[in-house]
Amino acid sequence: MARVVSWRKLRFRFDWMLTAATLVCISLGLLNLWSAVRERQFHLFAQQLSWAAVGALLFLAVASFDYRVIARMGYLLYGVGIALLVTVLIHGKMVGGSRRWFDLGAFHLQPSELMKVLTIIALAKYIHETPALDGRTLRHILVPIFLAGLPFLLIAAQPDLGTALILALIFATVMLTARLRLKTMAGIALVVALAATPLWEYALHDYQRNRILAFINPALDPATAWQPRQAMNAVGSGRLVGKGFLQGTQIRLRSLPALWTDFPFAVWAEEWGFLGCLVVLLAYALLTLWVIKIGREARDRFGITVCVGVAAMLTWQVAVNIGMVTGLLPVVGVTLPLLSYGGSSALTVMLALGLVMNVSVRRFAY
Amino acid sequence: MDIAGQDAELPEIRHRARYLSVLVALTFLGLAARLFYLQIVEGDSYYRMTADSIVRTVVLPAVRGQIRDHKGRVLATMVPSYDVQVLPSQLTHDAYLRLRELLGPDVEGVPTWEAIREEAEKGKDRTMVVAEDIKRDVMAQLETTLDKPGIQVVSVRRRHYPFGTLASHAIGYMNEVSAEELRTRKDEGYRSGDTVGRTGIERQWEPYLRGQKGFERMVVNRRGLRRTDVRIADLVDGPISQAAVPGNNLVLTLDMDLQRIVERALRGSRAAAAVFLDVETGRILALASKPSFDPNLMSRGLSPEAVSRILSDRLRPFRDKALADTYNPGSTFKVITASTALEEKLITLEDKVRCAGYIQVGRRRFRCTKVHKAVNLHDAIVQSCNVFFYDLGARPGMMNRLAKFANEFGLGAPSGLGLNNEQAGFVPTEEWHRAQASADGKSEGFVIGHALNTAIGEGATRVTVLQMALAYAAIANGGKLWLPQIVERVESPDGKVVEEFPPRVRRDVAVSAESLATIRSGLYGVVSDPKGTAYKARSHHIEVAGKTGTAQVYRGGRVGKDDPPLPYERVDHAWFVGYAPAAKPRIAFAVFVEHGGHGGSVAAPVAMEIVDSYFETVVPPEDRSPPRLAHHAGHGPAAGDSRLPSTVGETRPAPLPDPTSPTPPANDDPALPAGPNRKESR
Repeated sequence: MARVVSWRKLRFRFDWMLTAATLVCISLGLLNLWSAVRERQFHLFAQQLSWAAVGALLFLAVASFDYRVIARMGYLLYGVGIALLVTVLIHGKMVGGSRRWFDLGAFHLQPSELMKVLTIIALAKYIHETPALDGRTLRHILVPIFLAGLPFLLIAAQPDLGTALILALIFATVMLTARLRLKTMAGIALVVALAATPLWEYALHDYQRNRILAFINPALDPATAWQPRQAMNAVGSGRLVGKGFLQGTQIRLRSLPALWTDFPFAVWAEEWGFLGCLVVLLAYALLTLWVIKIGREARDRFGITVCVGVAAMLTWQVAVNIGMVTGLLPVVGVTLPLLSYGGSSALTVMLALGLVMNVSVRRFAY
Repeated sequence: MDIAGQDAELPEIRHRARYLSVLVALTFLGLAARLFYLQIVEGDSYYRMTADSIVRTVVLPAVRGQIRDHKGRVLATMVPSYDVQVLPSQLTHDAYLRLRELLGPDVEGVPTWEAIREEAEKGKDRTMVVAEDIKRDVMAQLETTLDKPGIQVVSVRRRHYPFGTLASHAIGYMNEVSAEELRTRKDEGYRSGDTVGRTGIERQWEPYLRGQKGFERMVVNRRGLRRTDVRIADLVDGPISQAAVPGNNLVLTLDMDLQRIVERALRGSRAAAAVFLDVETGRILALASKPSFDPNLMSRGLSPEAVSRILSDRLRPFRDKALADTYNPGSTFKVITASTALEEKLITLEDKVRCAGYIQVGRRRFRCTKVHKAVNLHDAIVQSCNVFFYDLGARPGMMNRLAKFANEFGLGAPSGLGLNNEQAGFVPTEEWHRAQASADGKSEGFVIGHALNTAIGEGATRVTVLQMALAYAAIANGGKLWLPQIVERVESPDGKVVEEFPPRVRRDVAVSAESLATIRSGLYGVVSDPKGTAYKARSHHIEVAGKTGTAQVYRGGRVGKDDPPLPYERVDHAWFVGYAPAAKPRIAFAVFVEHGGHGGSVAAPVAMEIVDSYFETVVPPEDRSPPRLAHHAGHGPAAGDSRLPSTVGETRPAPLPDPTSPTPPANDDPALPAGPNRKESR
């Protein structure tokens, strides 16, 4: 076996395209954050800048050693993630009615973000170790359901519906790509649909139910429908070319809650208009499609599954986040990868992309 | 691990991943389509709604409630006032010079031209207040002659205290909330720039006076102009406006006529305090502390130099000496010693003690003011004989008995007024002295000397001026210890009574009516008996009863006539506590002159002057001629004490033994008719 850490390999086969797409997204995020916080909360910008730097180091570090080491430790890492989720439920910092964060002084660690990547690794390891030439059926999916279901329930219990939803979407995407039979998938979907009724009645918190209801019928509760309406006002008023950098007026209302974590796209859309939005969408499309391309060139099932999982994570977070900003989806609190303010989110995405880089560097059999 | 080439499933997964790429591309296309709809198709209507609009919340200040005295005169109110504001970025040097000229040399704190230029560098929209509370004529001139950009006269409301320094400690003052308070009192709704009551009523009744701020939200454009084409409800959540609720008005029990008389009478004292109470309600009619301050200046904010000057003043102008400071009661405490002796049956009225000018206890000699010879309780009160009370102090268990009755009269506990950090004072016990000794190891523990000192109001006993007034009110009214009141009622801004505070008895003092009557006769003698310690200061219009007190501050022994005068801080405190009229008490009072000297010659004349003017000018004419003990001895407070009428009868028409008395004998003519004639007879 080759040396585990190989700077030489990393240097010669460095994926410039992946790196460039990532850097573009980070830069757009910082530019946008500058506009949102420069007036009163400049320290947020400085923090995000330092997280971007730490993220870059993490990216290189994860890419530097053979991903098969990570694969070998897959379940162990997964176990650590689960332990963190359990601990945060008990000892986490209570913010706005949910326990999602560890208070580490300067930094609030959100283990559910990290858990998305750890679940992808665990799923990839399982798929890697259980080949199924004729496609996967219920028999092959029981363990993955457990692997994704456990963190799903723990995260939903925080409660953090958005992240749980993203985890479910990643699971579905990864399993379908790993040749889960459509019939099986349809069966699962049916069961979930049937289970949804009691879930709606008993498992959801009032505020979560209200958000979804307010989304379906905004007139129902003006207080909960107000948030997405503000976001839509901001986005719509950007028109073709936007109001110009630092010229957004809606953000000055200071009325959008969670502006920098959940609604950075509203700020961007207002200031840069439809053309600016296309730039962001193109950057994301380029990044995501490139990740899938790397996956398709991977030398083993672990590599491709990790890439598919990361691509799914990016795509669905972008879709859900922009969906809620533009009034397509209820406000569920999903971050926009690399554009949202927040350390846990930024570091998680950089970690995931580091893994993809790792797969890219080692795509050829030696 | 598998080798890629041998993994038969891998190509299949790769194939499916291709579909995923398509799905991803379609998803992003969908998002782009949605954005196209919002920004291009509907963009103009969204733009119209939001473009160039800012929601500004204007805080509507609440008008603070008025404070009025018992007769409805305004003691504190909000008045319009004018500030001069400049926009530094637009102000020209010429305009600045002209402005300075118009403001005149009296207006302090006008920033220099350099300071204004500096501010102009910081931003276009900045404003600066250059002069506060300018005079009306200056304002008129500014408005008419100064047609220059960048200068505006803005109207604000300011707290105004029409009576100036009168009752300043009781009323208090206001100033801006500090940064510290903005953090700690956040939930009370204070914002930067708000003012808050700092002392006195303004502080204690802040929640009643303050009212509730309102707000109005409006849509403005970038230049701050109001927009009418945007519905504000589309932009903000929750209510759009809320009217401010004005604060409630307070009606105090104070009577500013009396307050003025009190503070005038204290003109010769450097530091003093006085409390006047209604004997039948416990309401405070006047509450003074000297030196006072002008709350108008305080509320405007003082320069740091002025603050440090005031804080280093040894007369402590900010301290409310009637409530927040405690002192030895001196001989005014003897009424409590007397109550104790009578109630505990330690003496009869006839028992006499021989005063040789001192009493020897062990190796210590406890001195009296002079040689009184044989005195009974009445004489001892009238002449303030220490030896008589030393003798009582030496009785077994006297220390704690005194403490019991001191507590009974309300000493050693806060009176319940709660104003200005009111102190509880202190009443020592045997146990306390013992604990004190074991704590510091130096003092001797409890010895009989402590009880002796306590019996004449020296030692560790500490009282507030208010406590003494309340105790004497209880003696005057037959034993009702009142809960003192300074706020009579709370009224809403439109004059409806919101809350009323009827008089409340704190306790019926456990001293028999006979004992109180005996003490009252003694207190009457203090003023009316030629041997009485306040005889020289007596009023010739109103019969006053009371007790002088000279509280020792410096125990350096006696000062001979040839010794240099003592420094201010070592001079004794002067007390005169009592009530008037003696026959039918209506007001009780305590007058205290800090480091004033002798109670009889310093505090008593002040008290007499106040009582005199009060009954002559403030009290309604029909009440000005109260019954006199000299005529109604049989019904007076000393009923049953056979010696009083004779004492009065002997002394009244006899001003002769005291040639220094300025009083013309005619004034003591019992036949003199009461009422309006009094003034002429003076």
